[in-house]
Parts: sequence; structure tokens; C-alpha cells
Amino acid sequence: MRTLLLAVSALALSTPSFAQTVFVDDATVVSPNGSQSKTDIIIVDGVIDARGARLSAPDGASTITGAWVTPGLFAPMSSLGMTDIGSSGPGNDVSSEDSPTNVSEHAADSFNPRSIHVGNVRQSGITHAVIAPRSSGNSIFAGTGAIISLTGEFDSILDPEAFVMADLGETGTRRAGGSRAAAMSQFRAAIEDAEGFFKRYADSADGGDVLSRQDAKAFSRAVRGDIPLLIRVERAADIMRLIDIQSENPSLDIIIVGGAEAWEVADEIAGADIRVILDPLKNLPTAFESVGSRLDNVAFLEEAGVEYAISNLTSLGVTKPASLAQHAGAAVVEGLSWEQAFAAISSVPSSWFGVDETSMVVWDGDPLEVTSAPIAMSIDGEEQSMSSRQKALRDRYNPTNEDDRAYKYR
Amino acid sequence: MKNLIPLLLITVALAACQPQTDAKADADKSDNAPAFASTYTPQESSDVLLRNATLIDGVSNEERTGDLLVSGGKIGFVGSGEIPEGVTELDLDGRYVTPGIIDIHSHLGNYPSPGVQAHGDGNEVTSPITSEVYAEHGVWPQDPGFDEALQGGVTTLHILPGSANLFGGRGVTLRNVPSRTVQGMKFPDAPYTLKMACGENPKRVYGNKGGPGSRMGNVAGYRKNWIKAAGYKAKRDKGGDYDRDLQLETLANVLDGKILVNMHCYRADEMVQILDIAKEFDYKVTTFHHAVEAYKIGDILAENDTCAAMWADWGAFKMESFDYINENVPFVHAAGACAMIHSDDQNNIQRLNQEVAKTWADGNRAGLDISKAEAWKWLSTNPAKALGILEETGTLEAGKRADLVIWDGDPFSTYARPETVMVDGAVLFDRATGLKPKSDFRLGYADLSEGVK
Repeated sequence: MRTLLLAVSALALSTPSFAQTVFVDDATVVSPNGSQSKTDIIIVDGVIDARGARLSAPDGASTITGAWVTPGLFAPMSSLGMTDIGSSGPGNDVSSEDSPTNVSEHAADSFNPRSIHVGNVRQSGITHAVIAPRSSGNSIFAGTGAIISLTGEFDSILDPEAFVMADLGETGTRRAGGSRAAAMSQFRAAIEDAEGFFKRYADSADGGDVLSRQDAKAFSRAVRGDIPLLIRVERAADIMRLIDIQSENPSLDIIIVGGAEAWEVADEIAGADIRVILDPLKNLPTAFESVGSRLDNVAFLEEAGVEYAISNLTSLGVTKPASLAQHAGAAVVEGLSWEQAFAAISSVPSSWFGVDETSMVVWDGDPLEVTSAPIAMSIDGEEQSMSSRQKALRDRYNPTNEDDRAYKYR
Repeated sequence: MKNLIPLLLITVALAACQPQTDAKADADKSDNAPAFASTYTPQESSDVLLRNATLIDGVSNEERTGDLLVSGGKIGFVGSGEIPEGVTELDLDGRYVTPGIIDIHSHLGNYPSPGVQAHGDGNEVTSPITSEVYAEHGVWPQDPGFDEALQGGVTTLHILPGSANLFGGRGVTLRNVPSRTVQGMKFPDAPYTLKMACGENPKRVYGNKGGPGSRMGNVAGYRKNWIKAAGYKAKRDKGGDYDRDLQLETLANVLDGKILVNMHCYRADEMVQILDIAKEFDYKVTTFHHAVEAYKIGDILAENDTCAAMWADWGAFKMESFDYINENVPFVHAAGACAMIHSDDQNNIQRLNQEVAKTWADGNRAGLDISKAEAWKWLSTNPAKALGILEETGTLEAGKRADLVIWDGDPFSTYARPETVMVDGAVLFDRATGLKPKSDFRLGYADLSEGVK
């Protein structure tokens, strides 16, 4: 046993690490607003130590040429750390079908920073993320979402009450009992429950029209505009209703999630100061509420002056954020500048949610290229591990692995 | 690109097909009177010489610069050859030309957009054994997803029943062409396939409906039905009277080698159990689908000449996909097995080249040394092989169908898009002229034709 322990600790020490001095020759450095410049960089223990046009490699430093150095990516929508596998069952905390509560449920309470997906997804250059619950049962409200960093540490919840998440559109319709009118009725009543919190619930815990006391209390921060209200909605007409709600309740700080038909009402969205999280790969009329889906949706929003962030909203579950950069690259093809697309997966959403931690990723190429990958990362000045469960599996079964012991001993 | 359209418009008669593989020639006989026969006719095409292309041909492991002649809907030559007098020339100035992409796992048409309940025609969730159903009978040719997949360079695709059942039904290979009917899309003489499923899905769906309720029950279900199929086949082969049974007919045709088995299976250990069942009943598993753990058994797949169709980076959506790695495709390839990408998704199918680019780059980062031209085989050559249509498409070789894509950049880049897509030499999508198919379903909605650019 003693030998085994020694072997294990030796392995841990040999894990690839930037805990040394690295000279990045002719790096492309991307600033938080997305603009690029060329410079040499010296990185010590995962943090930039010096930058300049003509630096030379310090003694003992390893040299990398042509790397890109950028702020970390911010995933504006995810369920990271809220489930181990996508299928339902114990361990999947993304939604709570049978609970009596909604807004007062905090995604942060479900968050497990040790989830293997945090480490896996970090390998794609993502340093920070939104985590959000999904609606279930008969409420359009999913709960309260959080902002996390992907360090995998127990202090990685940066804001446990960052926003309230709700569904309108076809999902909200289903939750509310079968029609958009029912969903909107529930939505308006919930706003009134929160606004009139002290009066309505003074004598009775169920004094509200649709929210229980703890849910109304949790919702009141969003109704006051202290935190954003994220609403999944696709259809242009539904967005127009949302704009009506915004004008009736000017304190609301609404962020649309989805917005497949946002291009049709881009000027109106801009006029209402509503922001949008969208998927620039969504182009199929997968539902009647999104028949107007088109790839250049994002270009319309840019043109109209809408603030937007880019996310993967279409494909599968917990590993979803990993393809964030690919999505931003698609937006470049549809007419955004590289800088705009990069900002839409980094500085724009991170400023929305008040992330003030610094982060850095060193890439082996243009980060928006599907063929590029990070080679080193830091979050808040701390170097991040570049290992993950996926990489451990990869290394065990790598065809170039010459270890001829049985697989379980590799 | 405008010069591609006019001149020398010729109607291409459906040329006599190349000799088929044995499996295919027999496929016609397998059903005594083949029903739902293909009525596919290539659209009109004009001959064109693509000059100065960067060619990835699906055969060579190297890309090269050269010309490609499209003549009579076929590939005339690749690289250099005799140039017909007066043929239209198009200088590609180094732009990439590749074979059309083939997706071996799609549900376009049988889970179409819009995804309303009334459109859920891909899974016959009424019994774990439904080998009598045909995916094509659930395909809606107006699925807008076909049109978007074409714009992503997909020229041939295989539509499978879903994975609820142990024996799901027959899959069908389609040309990705605009058509009023599914018969008008069917790849002429392509063999049928049988969709089977391992693992979690059948036992979850039928656990409370009479079983199977476990992986043990799954295996018992396969074996029971192969025994029945062998009995049916013996009776049928003896000649004389026998009661035709659609369910057993499909299985007997698998035992004859006329129908290819496409099996949904995630776990490595489970795939190897399935290979044992195939040995027990003397049939072949042509391709494992999803095969998230194929990288653990690349050597065994290679020994059994069984392909694996995989995603680049999907996983953890259920227990059996927990061990996903981004290097699955290149690791299986490096083990000498037949590896390919697949979509199983209406979005993913639109950019399978990027999915390959991702997994290719990750494989090389892990120490492999695979060229782009070699990796391209995961997009067209290997799926064509697995579908029994490699003699007709899947590579750029003289005499094959001119199914090809001209790209506006390196197809391994996020920023590249198909510029022109040809099926049988006919230009079905052309970005420059705005030529693209539009489903009936798209008509009458907010105008999609004008962008902000």
C-alpha cells in the first residue's frame, strides 16, 4: 500500500502544469473588449509577469510561439454542477418537479463545485458561468440562479442570488396550465405579489395570488430591479408582450433567453433596454414559437444596438457550454466582428453579472476556431489545473500509451 | 458561380448504376416485390471543370491541388485528365473541394421541425420488437431540416428509427434532394438497414410495460428473436408455402446479409456482448452508433470489421454516456477500425465538418498524427462504406456520382461554409446566387430572404 501511495503522489506531481516560467513569443493578446494586439509575454505560475514587444526568454523558461492570450470565457447559460448526468433521478437538481416552491429555490444550493463537468468544461477555456434552474410543475418560475467560477473550489459561487429565471412562450404556457394568457396572468400576478409583499403577506403566508411568501420575497429583488429577470421566450409577439410588461413595470431588468425571433422586433427590444442571450446556431423552426429562426438573428441585434450575449441553447445538457467558442465563431460568419463575437462570450455577459475576478487563458490558436484549445488558464490570479476526468480517460486509453499493464492500473 | 448554371444544360439520364456490392444486388430480391421503390432522378446538371481546387478526395491521406471535371452528373476526372472542348470552367483559386458529407444517423423527416407531437414519427414505441416498421414511412419530405443540412454540405443521409426498441425497424438511405415524396429521395438500390438498440433506452421504455427491464432482458430479447428469425428463414428458403411475416422478414434478411445492422450502443462491454450474439446467430453488426466508449475497444472493433459512428464531444446526458471523451473518433481510427462522425441531431448535421475538425484536433493534441485529408474519411468515405454505397459516392473518384462541396475556406475552420453543393452534379445550393431549397413549411412566414448584411 505504501508503494502505491508513493506512486500516486508521483503521478499527481507530474500532472501537466504551468507552474513554471513560460515565454510566449509573439502572442496575440486579446483585451476584455475583444481587441487584439501582438506582444511577447512572460507567464510565471500561470499569471502574466511581464509583457512587451521584444522580451527575451528568461533562463529555464519554456517557449511557446503564436499562442493567443485572452480573458476567460463566460458561459451565459448552463446547469454546471447541478447534475452529474442529464437523465432525471437523484443527483439531477436542474429542476424540481414536485416541490411546492419556485423563485426561492437557489441554484447555488444545488451547485457542486467538485462535479466532474466543472473540470471538463473548464478545459474549453470557460472560467465563469451562469448556472440556472429549469422550470417545472405548474409555475413559470424556475428559481434563482447563480454566478460561479470554474475553479472547482468551495468558494466558487461568486453570487448566489444573481437573477431570477422564468419561462414564458410555449414552456411557460405548459407550466401555467395551457395558454399564453395563463402564463402572462401568472407572471403579472407574481409581480403584484412581490410588489405588495408587506401588505399581502402581513397576516397570512398564502396571502398572495400565485406566489407563496418565501417565493414572493425572493422575487421582490428582481421586481425592484436589484437583480435581472431572465425569461426564456422565442416568438416576436411574445417578446412584444414582454416589452409591454417592462413598460408597465419600469424597474424590471429583463434579459431574454432564446429570442429566436428577436430580429423581427430588434428595434423595439433596443428601445426597451432589454438584453438578449441567444444561440447564433439556431435556424430551424423547431416549434411554432420559433418559426422565424435564422442564423443572422445576432446581426440584426447588433445593428439595432441591442446588448447581447452568445450561448449554446440548443444541444445536449450538462456539457453544453463546452462549445461556446464555436458558437461565437458562427456569429462572426453571420456578420459580427471577431471582437464583438468574443466580447459576447466574455466581457459582455460577465459585466452584466458583475464578475470582477480576472481570468486568463493561453490558447494554442484563435480561440474561436474549433481546432484550438487552451494550454494554460488562471482565475483570479490562481493557476488552474488542465487535467480533468475526460483527460484521465483519454490518457488511460490513448493508443499512443505504451503502458502495457491492465487498463485499471494505468 | 453564375457561370455554373447556364451553358450546356443537359438532362442526365439516370446512368446505369455501377455493379453493386453483393449485399446490394441481393437486396432487391430480399423482398419479392420491392415496395416503395426509389423514384429518384437527378436534377439537371451542366458539365463543369473546377480549376485549381484544393482537393480532399476521401481516398488519399494528402490534400492536393488540381482540377476536377463534372460530366453527365458524374465525376469525370480528379487531378488532371482530358478536358472536353468548350466545357464551362470555374477557377476556384485554391478553394477546397470535398466529397459531399454523408450522415449515417439522422432523424430528419421522422422527427421533423416543427417538433410538435403530431410529428413524432421516429419511434414505434408499442413493442420492443418492431422490425416490421420502416423509417421511410415516417419521413416527412418537407422537414426544413433537410434544406439546412444541404447548406451544411450533406448530400446523402441515413434516416433511422429511434432507439426505444430492441429491434426498431428499417433505416433508409436518402439523397438530400428536394422532393415531394420520400420515394423521390431514396438512394437507388442502397441496402436497407436494421436499427437495433442496446442499454438504457429499451429497458427504461419497457421496464414497466412487460419488459425488457434490464440489460439481461435486452440480451434475452435479441436472442429469442434471432432464433425465431432463423426458423422463419429456414422455412422460407425451403420454398413452397409460408406465411409472410414482415417482422421476421427483416431479421431473416439480416441473416442473409442483405440488410445491414446499425446498432445504438454506448458502453464498450455491451458492444462486445453484442458482437458475441452476432457470432452466435451468424450475422454481422455493420456499425455501432453513438458508441461513446468505442475508444476502449478500438482493437476489438477492428478485428470484427465493425464500424463506429460517433459524436465529437457529446456525453453525460445519461449514465451510459458518462465516459465520453473528445478523442473518441480519432482513437478508434488509430486502432485501425472504421470510424465516422454522425449527428443524430438537426443542428449538428449542419456542421459535421466542424465536429470532425474538433475531434481531429483533439486527437492530434493527444499525440496522434492524422492529416485533415485522412480525417475527412470520417465524413464521407466511412459512412458510405457502412451504408453499402461506397462504390457510388463518398469519395471524389472518376465514375462516381458527382456529390461534392465547394467550400469558401478550410472546412476544418469554424469560419468556413459550403459555397456550392452538388448532388449528382446538379447544383442544389449556391451561396453566391442565393439558390437554395425552401420547404413548403417555410412559405408565408416572415421573410427570411433579406439579412442585414
